Amino acid sequence: MRPLSVRRRLLGGRGGSKGEALAFYGFLSPWIVGTAALTLYPVGYAVYLSFTGWDGISVFKPWVGLANYREVLTSPDTLSSLSKTLLLVAIVVPTTIIGSLVLAILLNERVRGRTVFRTMIYIPAIVPPVAASLIWKVVFDQDSGAANRFLAIFGVDAVSWLTGNHAFVVLIVVLLWAVGAGIIINLAALQTVPADQLEAVKLDGGGPLTAFRHVTLPAISPVLLFQTVLTTITTLQTFVPALLLSPIGAGNATGTYTNIPNANRVYMVDVYSQFFAYSRYGFGSAMLVVFFVVIVALTVVIFKLVGRSVFYAVDPTESRKG
Amino acid sequence: MASIRLTRRPRHPVVFGVLLVISVLMVLPFAELILSSLRSANTVHEDTWLPSVFEWSNYKQVVTLIPFGRYARNSAVLATLFSILTTLSSAVVGYGFARLRGPGKNILFGLLISTMMVPQIVTLIPTYLLFAQFGLVGTYWPWVLWGIAGAPYAIFLYRQFFSSFPKELEEAAVIDGAGRIRIFVTIFLPLSRPLLVTAFVLAFNTVWGDFIAPNLLLDESNTTLAVGVSQGYVIQQGFQLSNLLAGGAMLYLVPVVVLFLAAQRSYVRGFVNSGLK
Repeated sequence: MRPLSVRRRLLGGRGGSKGEALAFYGFLSPWIVGTAALTLYPVGYAVYLSFTGWDGISVFKPWVGLANYREVLTSPDTLSSLSKTLLLVAIVVPTTIIGSLVLAILLNERVRGRTVFRTMIYIPAIVPPVAASLIWKVVFDQDSGAANRFLAIFGVDAVSWLTGNHAFVVLIVVLLWAVGAGIIINLAALQTVPADQLEAVKLDGGGPLTAFRHVTLPAISPVLLFQTVLTTITTLQTFVPALLLSPIGAGNATGTYTNIPNANRVYMVDVYSQFFAYSRYGFGSAMLVVFFVVIVALTVVIFKLVGRSVFYAVDPTESRKG
Repeated sequence: MASIRLTRRPRHPVVFGVLLVISVLMVLPFAELILSSLRSANTVHEDTWLPSVFEWSNYKQVVTLIPFGRYARNSAVLATLFSILTTLSSAVVGYGFARLRGPGKNILFGLLISTMMVPQIVTLIPTYLLFAQFGLVGTYWPWVLWGIAGAPYAIFLYRQFFSSFPKELEEAAVIDGAGRIRIFVTIFLPLSRPLLVTAFVLAFNTVWGDFIAPNLLLDESNTTLAVGVSQGYVIQQGFQLSNLLAGGAMLYLVPVVVLFLAAQRSYVRGFVNSGLK
């Protein structure tokens, strides 16, 4: 008798007993309540606000229908911040993916000091975006930075790196510094490459490039694809470096956004400015919703293309851009 | 299967050279940061690579020009508070997903996976408006609530980990009349110690490194080091004293790097083990 009831409590019969269901929901309750209040509700609230012209202060939230969305998709300012963001993605994503793959392949060779090299290359990826931004701000300082000291060797005059279009170059450098973030998952992926097939290519007289194209690349392509989409998503979110590379404004949350050089006014900077510099909560919400839809679409693409197995191996610290 | 053991590969002087150059380039900014932090105010403009005088007293200014100690304590308190809560809460929820059954489990699991990809930056502003309605802006309550809610990625790791144990582990305890909570606390929680460490370190780094949330939710008196340092050492028009800023960034960064190097092994293993199977 006893073992049977034990079995039932553990396995919950076929569909799960009432007591077990209660325990299940009991254990999940912090997450269920938390997600409902701190993720689902805020997203829903933003969707609601996106149909209003709320200024963030008034009690009344005037309904404006789709006007905000129309503006997001047509206003020159939004399209400008969007195109800068896409340019950033077009530069940073391929460089990061190819760079971290090349690094992983090199680190996969049996060379002396491999562990030390791996740590040295990976360390910038664990540096919080705040610190990364400040480090490069110091390096690219017009008067005392190493970048201008280096250029001076070739007789180039001091460049004002953190203003005008140069600021975009510095932003790219900050993001690319984290190229090592992908090497751990890449190294793990390289271990799954079938050694016997590599050997077969070798026996057939194929060179390392042939082996790479016909054996290594197919084996690791799901991981590469996954990283491409993930890096795209994180690069789209670029915000903190764009904010911190520029001179800081007066006041904390509100004054900061107006000092950012035009070249670095990427999409998220635009969103935060709409809220906290221009008090356009309705319009800002519409921008957030559009962004959210794009992220969801990209996430669905990952699932469809590479399945869950790779998804689970993601490194959550790859969020330099946050 | 007797896989062909590849013959010992030859040494790769080229690969070694390339890796050496890249590695040095990657850590060079740290060296420059340290050197910058030691330049005196009069010599920041000099064009030598090494400062002519090492101005160690800069660091005294770094910690006194802004309330550095207070910011650091705020960061430590906030990060510890959040990390303890989220680590335990994620373990509880992960256990529920791994060892218990209830109606709607698959839907909830789908929701968990979906929320893993919802960027904080999207939910933060509307969440900020919610916290403002409840008068929680300017307090540490948001981090307490975020902590209790658990972190999707950590919940997922725990779920994978707890799923790997045989049923017999619980059976004996159930025969002894132990309830679910006791089984979780006395059997599963102690087994998950390596994962607890990983989740704690990750959560701690996240809060320590976060700029946006404290910048939005906290004020001058209780904000974190990330905000304090990045907005401090201002001279005029928002331009900052680069040598002091470098020193501040340096001190801010030290705990992150030390924690990473100390936990590196379990940290890396945690990610690699969780997937690619």
